[in-house]
Amino acid sequence: MNIRPPPRRVAVALAVAALALIGSTSHAEDKVIRVGVLMPISGPASYFGVQGKQGIELALEQVNAGAGPAGYKLQVQYEDSACSPLQATNTVKRVLEQFKPHIIIGEECSDASLAIAPILEQAKVPLLNAGSSAVKLTESGYKYVFRIFPTADQQGTLLGRNAYEKLGARTAVLLYEKTNAGVDNADTFEKVFTAAGGKVLARIDFGRDVNDFTPIATRIAGLGKVDVLPTFGLEGQTVRLAQALAQARVVRGGGGTAIQMGSIWLPWGFEQKAGPSSEGYIRVVQFDPTERRKMVTDFNAAFRAKFGAAETPTHINAHAYDSVLLVAEAVRRGATDSESLRDRFSKMQGVEVTTGRISFDAKGQTSDLSVIHFVETQKDLSWKGMAW
Amino acid sequence: MITRTDRAPLIPPSRWVGYLLAFALIVAAPLVLGTPYWRGILVVCAMNVLLALSLNLVLGYTGQLNLGQSAFFAIGAYVSVILVRSHGWNFWLAMVAASAAAGMAGLLLAAFAVRLRGHYLGIASLGFAVITYQVLVNWEGVTEGVRGIYGIMPPPPIKLPGLPEISFGNSLALFWLVGGIAFAVYWMLDNLVRSPVGETLRALREDEVSAASLGINAARWKAFAFGLASTIAGLAGCFYPGFVGTLVPDAFNIVESFTMLAMVIVGGMGSMIGPVIGAVVLTFLPELLRSAGELRLMIYGIALTLVVLFMPGGILQLVQIVRARLSRRAGAGASR
Repeated sequence: MNIRPPPRRVAVALAVAALALIGSTSHAEDKVIRVGVLMPISGPASYFGVQGKQGIELALEQVNAGAGPAGYKLQVQYEDSACSPLQATNTVKRVLEQFKPHIIIGEECSDASLAIAPILEQAKVPLLNAGSSAVKLTESGYKYVFRIFPTADQQGTLLGRNAYEKLGARTAVLLYEKTNAGVDNADTFEKVFTAAGGKVLARIDFGRDVNDFTPIATRIAGLGKVDVLPTFGLEGQTVRLAQALAQARVVRGGGGTAIQMGSIWLPWGFEQKAGPSSEGYIRVVQFDPTERRKMVTDFNAAFRAKFGAAETPTHINAHAYDSVLLVAEAVRRGATDSESLRDRFSKMQGVEVTTGRISFDAKGQTSDLSVIHFVETQKDLSWKGMAW
Repeated sequence: MITRTDRAPLIPPSRWVGYLLAFALIVAAPLVLGTPYWRGILVVCAMNVLLALSLNLVLGYTGQLNLGQSAFFAIGAYVSVILVRSHGWNFWLAMVAASAAAGMAGLLLAAFAVRLRGHYLGIASLGFAVITYQVLVNWEGVTEGVRGIYGIMPPPPIKLPGLPEISFGNSLALFWLVGGIAFAVYWMLDNLVRSPVGETLRALREDEVSAASLGINAARWKAFAFGLASTIAGLAGCFYPGFVGTLVPDAFNIVESFTMLAMVIVGGMGSMIGPVIGAVVLTFLPELLRSAGELRLMIYGIALTLVVLFMPGGILQLVQIVRARLSRRAGAGASR
């Protein structure tokens, strides 16, 4: 069979069409902000990745609707960095090379975030962090690191002060996982609480592999009168710890007098998992789904519409959602590349998101403590705002 | 009279070809995989080759179940960093000292291990890894504990006469350094296991009682294998902190020991090339599977299970089967 060559006119038309296509492609590429997302999708902290992805998907739908912020579309690539410094290092190099992001959102775990920060600093790509509390992340002089999560100092200071002043606590036992973030939180609490006149009866640390907290609870029961139990651990372990403390009749949920206190680490739904043991638990939350602010009610409604009427967003969902909103806000303010994103972030003051208002200080840390709320778990496992 | 020319060469020509190919591969690989990400993976791969070779000496050749190899890797990493940062040592000197420290720790473990066999030895070595991990976590004054050590620099540049300065701040030179060391270690072990020393170790692996009846001092040779293997693992550890830039105890938890074990088993233990194949496959496979998204780890796990189930001799067994079939087919073709 002979194939006849196309007539010259058709060939010219095809060439023009191809050129137009190439032109439109490069134009479309110009109007895209690439966002690399590094999250633990595997391993014990994978629930961060799962919930984080939900928040990001929802935010993307909203900010990319229509023309997108300032005519730009946000394009996201997820990568599993597994909360591990080595894997996060390899992953961030891969993303930088293959996806060429304008900004990176992540990681959750402090060790992994601290490992990728110098790489991104060198690449001059901003890191927007929403889950690591190690103070060092924004105290190391990085110019491209921004964090919307309160540091261990910010959380621990308020916890220590409120324990002493508002709860009248004079004795404490510190319970914390032996990680960068756990130690930072415990240290800050101890510093503030003892400076105010309180006494720390014991510091009890535990690894992430501990499952049975009965020995720890029994030990605390033998320490005499303990007023507060500041606890810094991931949700799974804190559930078991609260139940063991209740069983040992140490905390209010088990008929004791001690009040368990905690940080932002615990997501919404912790009470339902811990059951009656969590009664009287007072903790910092960065996202309160019961808040009546319009931003929060809209977010709740959109989240339920997308993921199911019975779903309530957690702070992890909210952090991820807020991160994308902040990138979109920076783009609305004229950011078009990594450098201008960094510049717009560094000037952000009082930007409202679901967790509160974000104001970055000179070190890239959000300094607005409106993102910190205290709540107390009631008998029916609902929250009561503490208005502290 | 037997003259030197009558003796078989120590290294047969076919092996020299293999060495040359391996050397050429080490030189070419980072030029082919020319991006920082893939070069970084190559550096990790070279470290893993060292770890797999070291474990294979104890497990594959001497028959001692060692589940604590991550401890020696950690000792190499921490000792080198502490000597450089806290005591101002030169990295290269610290590397030698850190490898020696890991070797000494291996001998310490061997002092107990020579009395144990099989599962008992496995548990004891696992205990050693757990103790080492706990020391790293809790000896905060020296190791910084869980807070970790940050901002670790890569090995310092070296200046060779007549050549420009070689900087290890980029992963190209770093891979050539670690890959070159892995090559040298392979060459050394390859010769060792084909020498009377290797025969002795294999005799211990096959039957310790029979070996003793031949006058082999089992305790001494096991200690030798443990000491040498842990020195090599410590050497690999010296390059980890400079590559990642941070050092935290979690990088050396006991799961890492099982990853090293998997490299040796999947590749094919008791051979020299098997663990190298295992290290390469288990380093690259998870990265190549990244395009599979969330299915990545499932595919990886299934692949490992299938290898262990159907190829107990590892990937090397598959290579040998295929080679045997091909040569049979070629032989049948020639006889026709």
